[in-house]
Amino acid sequence: MRMESYNPPKIVCFMCNWAFCEEEMRVPYNVNIIRVICVGRMDPALVLETFINGADGVLLVGCKPPDCHFVDGNLHAERAVKMLKKLLALAGLEPERLKLLLTSPMEDKGFSHYAKEFSEEVWKLGDSPLGKEELLANLTAAKDAASAFRLRVLLGREEELTEFMNAYGEKIPEEEFDALLDDIVRAEFIRYKIHYLTRVKPHSVKELAEALGIKPSAVLRHITNMRRKGMIALDHVEGYTPLYKALEVR
Amino acid sequence: MVANYSANVKKLFPPCRVACPAHVNVQGYVSLIQKRKFKEAVEVIRRDMPFPAICGRVCFSPCEDACARVNLDQAVAIRALKRLVADIEREQGRVVAEPVPKKYSEKVAIIGAGPAGLTAAYELAKLGYPVTVFERMAKPGGMMHYCIPDFRLEKFVVANEIAYIKDIDVEIKTGVEFGKDITIESLKNDGYKAIFFAIGTQLGMKLNVPGEDLEGVINAVDFLRATAPGKKITVGERVAVIGGGNTAIDAARMAKKLGAKEVMILYRRSREEMPALPHEVELAEKDGIKFYFLAAPKQIIGENGRVKAVECLRMRLGEPDESGRRRPIPIAFSEHQYEVDMVIPALGQVVETSVLPPELINKEKRGPPIQVDPLTLETNIPGVFAGGDVATGPASIIKAVGAGKRAAVSIHRYLRGEDLRRDREEEKIEETTWVKDWRLLEKKERRYDAPIEKPHLSFEEAREYLERLKRQARFEAFRCLGCGPCAECLASMDLCEGDKAVVDESKCVGCNVCAVICPVGAIKKNEKGVAQVDEELCKGCGLCAARCPEKAISMKKLSNEQILTMVLTALER
Repeated sequence: MRMESYNPPKIVCFMCNWAFCEEEMRVPYNVNIIRVICVGRMDPALVLETFINGADGVLLVGCKPPDCHFVDGNLHAERAVKMLKKLLALAGLEPERLKLLLTSPMEDKGFSHYAKEFSEEVWKLGDSPLGKEELLANLTAAKDAASAFRLRVLLGREEELTEFMNAYGEKIPEEEFDALLDDIVRAEFIRYKIHYLTRVKPHSVKELAEALGIKPSAVLRHITNMRRKGMIALDHVEGYTPLYKALEVR
Repeated sequence: MVANYSANVKKLFPPCRVACPAHVNVQGYVSLIQKRKFKEAVEVIRRDMPFPAICGRVCFSPCEDACARVNLDQAVAIRALKRLVADIEREQGRVVAEPVPKKYSEKVAIIGAGPAGLTAAYELAKLGYPVTVFERMAKPGGMMHYCIPDFRLEKFVVANEIAYIKDIDVEIKTGVEFGKDITIESLKNDGYKAIFFAIGTQLGMKLNVPGEDLEGVINAVDFLRATAPGKKITVGERVAVIGGGNTAIDAARMAKKLGAKEVMILYRRSREEMPALPHEVELAEKDGIKFYFLAAPKQIIGENGRVKAVECLRMRLGEPDESGRRRPIPIAFSEHQYEVDMVIPALGQVVETSVLPPELINKEKRGPPIQVDPLTLETNIPGVFAGGDVATGPASIIKAVGAGKRAAVSIHRYLRGEDLRRDREEEKIEETTWVKDWRLLEKKERRYDAPIEKPHLSFEEAREYLERLKRQARFEAFRCLGCGPCAECLASMDLCEGDKAVVDESKCVGCNVCAVICPVGAIKKNEKGVAQVDEELCKGCGLCAARCPEKAISMKKLSNEQILTMVLTALER
């Protein structure tokens, strides 16, 4: 994630198998292309892991809506990117470092154009203002949140909930779903941040509230929730202060 | 494609592939065009049949009629795509095929170098049999060479495709007539273990009206054969072609091109019932050919032994007959005449029975002249097979190709002493149906493509034009819905090549996310409440693996861990 500003940023590009042909590609050397079968195949957790491993920007390339080989893989990718951007913002990384590009076969511009454009955009963003340690903690928490059941099931069900109906015959408007997603992403991120912090050594609620920059009462609410799910447990009590330690999540 | 038959394995094919008599892997090569892999696309076509360029020009494209895209806007232009890739390959210089080593010693003789015979030879040679094709005419290709006019199918295209077949070591002997130079006995004495008859239908059908023997009446097949390069024929000033098939259109256009002032087509039904391709009819109209419908010839009137006029009866259309077309009924006293000096009947072709060995000929009056088993193409003589037009009546190139492939399977099994009937590939093919009642149709918006007119261009412009054409082809190919399961297109061996989702049953919680997400409906919950993948349908897109909340689904070929390893190596650079 850290980079010297005179070096071009490291970009990883996950590209749909069908998006651009090899003939049409002349790519800057700082852009690494990884072909996947469909851009919707990208696991959100994998994208975050790419950031953790030192990418400065991630570009996802897929096909424009009517062209997806797998009907709506590109739309699934769009939803995932929406959620990932929220997670990145929470983690303190500019959401602009992640971009989804949907192209059509009749596109006049080749891939190199888009690659350069994105590379320059990321370059302008420069270094992340956060320290390395903190960024790693945040991104790991985001990754854990993205690989956990709650966000994934929400992501997988989004289309069903917003376009069709849920089990109770209700159709959720998109804005409502968005607000819901916002809340859940935030809650999940905080929980996994707590989990990350308490993994190293036991923390008290007060310490956690300080580290997270939120009210202790909110932290306590999350901890109650996490204890119920078996993510965290009481380690020991120092004086009158209980200290919590993370449990291994399955 | 042969002999690799495990019992009860059904084959799921997209509708286009099912509709094609030769079962060409349409989805496969269309996918390759999407990736601009034109040469590989031709290879994929050649796996199923040897005539990509010929079929790209003159096939009646049943695949396009079956295309599921019709439900949305219009069918994918499959034939045009095939023609383009075949042309690109030929222009860039065809890869010279390696001769296939001869695995088996049994010699196979094929009578007739038409589409059926050549396909059978091609398939058998690929299996490793020494094959000899005997052809009566001076050049191989049959009707493709002699009867389809140059403006529809260029002769060098036919020659190029046949050169490919010769490349893989098929021996073609021309100028050898069956019945005169060779017989079944002489072939057996020469060590041929199996014989395939694919002599086609060479005789034009007769009109059966008075005046047919007049000078100036020439059958369409003979007429077209006489127009082949190196031959000369004079056409009349006013020409009447009788019939409504492609041969009639070809003969009429040919006559016009050879200098006839006025060419008319007389057809006893109306335009809707014409068996000719609509596109060809339009072209004929552009050439200035007149169509007279609902007119059936009653007699040909002559003067001094030459044709002077055709007398016709007006028809009206009655109830549909067994072919589904409305039966023409003559109207009494409606005789009228067309003054012409040449009449070309184009009513269809029949088998030249005088060439056939008498023991093969069907004794019954009704039915085809040679009786064959429709599944295995066996005749009543063991080791002798017959197929193509000779067995089924005049049809099309692609049907002949299908028959050739079928015969090749039968001959291979016959020579290997296997059961000819068991688990025939033709019987196991099943059509994928999910695309027809599918949410996809709502998601894919309507889109028409603007056709590119082919203008006269300079060399530089032509290159640009070809580039545009390639892009257009890619665009057109993208319209393919991909109805079938994995197309086995070789598009990216490393990536998909039949990637399949695998469910770890111990992790699955039965949340149903994967079943909702799967674009082809390949995942269902089974009775245990656990997700189950239908491997037959799974396209390997991995959407389910990317969303499974418990990470219970992983991909066989390209798992998340592998993608991560690729990321790590990429970032180390």
